[in-house]
Amino acid sequence: MSVAHCGDFRQTYKDDMLVLRTRFIRIAVGAFVLLLYLSPLFSSNYVTSTMTTIAIAVIGALGINVVTGFTGQISLGQGAFMGVGAFACSYFMRVVHMPFWLAMPMAGLTSAAVGMIFGLPSARLKGLYLAIATLAAQFILQYVFMHLDAVTGGSNGIPSPPPEFGTFAFDGDRSKYYLTITVAIAAVIFTTNLLRSRSGRAFIAVRDHHLSAEIMGVNLFKYRLLSFAVSAFYAGIAGSLWGMYTGYISAEHFTITESINYLAMIIIGGLGSVLGSIFGAIFMTLLPQVLTVGTGALADIFPKIGFLIMSFKDGVFGIIVILFLIFEPDGLAHRWRMIKTYWKLYPFSY
Amino acid sequence: MKRLTASIALAAMALLAAPLMGQDIVIGNIADITGGTGDVGKPYAEGIKAYTDYINANGGINGRKIKLLQQDYAYKIPEALSLYKKFKDQDKVVAIQGWGSGDTEALKEQVAKDQIPYFSASYSAHLTDPAKSPYNFFCAVDYSTALRGCLKYIKDNWKEKRKPKVAFIYPDVGYGKAPIPAGKAYALELGFEIVGEENVDLKALEATTQLLNLKKKDPDFAWIGGTKPSTSVILKDAKKLGLRTKFFGNIWSADEESPKMTGGAEEGYLFVVGAALYGDKGAGMDVIKKVSGGQLRVSSWIRGWVSMMVMCEVLKTADKNKELTGPGIRKYAEQLTNLNTQGLTAPITYSNSDHRPFTSVILAEFAGGKMVRKGTIDLPRRADWKGF
Repeated sequence: MSVAHCGDFRQTYKDDMLVLRTRFIRIAVGAFVLLLYLSPLFSSNYVTSTMTTIAIAVIGALGINVVTGFTGQISLGQGAFMGVGAFACSYFMRVVHMPFWLAMPMAGLTSAAVGMIFGLPSARLKGLYLAIATLAAQFILQYVFMHLDAVTGGSNGIPSPPPEFGTFAFDGDRSKYYLTITVAIAAVIFTTNLLRSRSGRAFIAVRDHHLSAEIMGVNLFKYRLLSFAVSAFYAGIAGSLWGMYTGYISAEHFTITESINYLAMIIIGGLGSVLGSIFGAIFMTLLPQVLTVGTGALADIFPKIGFLIMSFKDGVFGIIVILFLIFEPDGLAHRWRMIKTYWKLYPFSY
Repeated sequence: MKRLTASIALAAMALLAAPLMGQDIVIGNIADITGGTGDVGKPYAEGIKAYTDYINANGGINGRKIKLLQQDYAYKIPEALSLYKKFKDQDKVVAIQGWGSGDTEALKEQVAKDQIPYFSASYSAHLTDPAKSPYNFFCAVDYSTALRGCLKYIKDNWKEKRKPKVAFIYPDVGYGKAPIPAGKAYALELGFEIVGEENVDLKALEATTQLLNLKKKDPDFAWIGGTKPSTSVILKDAKKLGLRTKFFGNIWSADEESPKMTGGAEEGYLFVVGAALYGDKGAGMDVIKKVSGGQLRVSSWIRGWVSMMVMCEVLKTADKNKELTGPGIRKYAEQLTNLNTQGLTAPITYSNSDHRPFTSVILAEFAGGKMVRKGTIDLPRRADWKGF
């Protein structure tokens, strides 16, 4: 039996560097990852493809958490940065004839470059002012998507070819899932480690008190810009995967609604927490689907008022989000920590 | 023991076989009840539901009932995609009734790959080329043909010597932009002078800037490619600014309820109607009148009804020939020749090289707050217009 100490006792440097602290946690996480990889074998395509959308949302949410949660810069452009990634990836594949494996990171870099351009105002602006500046990014990019016909297909959108590995095409629900979940796991590991790095600590210092950070020798502008770049890189990767998942990219998807959705994910999940990004992504992806299925089932039982019930969906969605913010202001990640702490000392909590 | 196993196997087989006989036909409906186009999306979905109830009460599909799964996707593409997956994998639908441009475009490739016939309310002309979208169908005149029909009607009634001046107002979205290139090409072909082009958003609350621009160019006619709310905004602002332009518009731009929103500014507005108007004569309308109990049904409701009616006709033939599968439905849909929708639309014809249901355009105009039919323009089924 491996036990965690009832306190923070790290005795060696190796101890200090561990992400998964006890054997139990290591086994649990390993089993969970294994379960993720085995799940398509016993779940339906619908469940598998829902999990694919969750994995994509996790990547996007991790991205916005880097800039908003860790560095404290509100970004309202995550949806548009995803669009940049999606269109860039499709462009690299169709026109430049790159394989997906190269096009996806390239799309991420393209998106990062765009993110840096729109992150420039962060040199002078903070808080709400910066939020409005990034909002401009959202609308400018949306305009570009609609009018850069050669790359984005304008309002008609463009197809996104499936990735290929040799002769194997990733065009089934399962293969798309495996690809996405692998990238998502890589993103989670990368983010966790990023936070423990020099840059990650600088991000947090910038967020907590930018003046102190600057006095300590953190280059504020550099790290703010870097956080925008990293965040947009994640968004670009998520966008590429979204394009792969749908097979068709349309500018109508990457609107302000999508950006706010991502912001909501990390607020509900927990700002500045990797686990929070995951919880938030799961919550915000599943809730509309649960409500759709729920209201659909209710409408089947009461066909006379079916349409009325369906119209409640958005209202219920809003109420649930508000209730969450009232009763879980620190996000789902905080609740998770509380549950863990409770069981850690169970049954002798004092 | 062996006997027990055998009887269990038999029972299991009986259970499995039972639903196959007289099994319901499952159809999915991705509808917009609460989203951005809910004003016309809801009646459309109600029309689909009403026809399903009607056919189920009147013999069904060769005795089999239709199980219609209606779900709201609030005009959000990701929700439409996940609904599509649910319909395909969990509910095993044989065909889908869809709705808007964004989701229909986003699903175009997938329905082709999964071979699921998709009847949409997006009447974009590029959905009519089976080489590009083999499983997409719709039951109204496509947007490009609609615009061409209007232009032809205007030109036919143009008395002056000079060229008529035309302008185009549309929202900068797929639905708005789709017919514009075709319309411009045909306007030049007919001898119009194109004087201007303006974007008015679907959610616009005022259009003064755009209309002041137009006023300088003084077009005789201006196309409105929006939906009901944006059209009423344009018409009201144009009246306020004193434009002498006559407006004409697309199939979703106005209906029976528009005068309530425009308060008189709609007088003389010419627009395309996709189906017969409520209260018209004809066998099809008599059924609608009976079903609705004499209550007004707007034209988007009737279009939903017709879309389901056409789908059911195809299902009947496919079922009769024991080919109630995606490819089967497509095959028999493409064999439809002059399908009579009991006077609700022009006769519908699809072929394996052309999914344009018909190329005649019914036009109506507002006069004294009422919709008055102005005539039907029959356009040729030109090959260079397919998918354009």
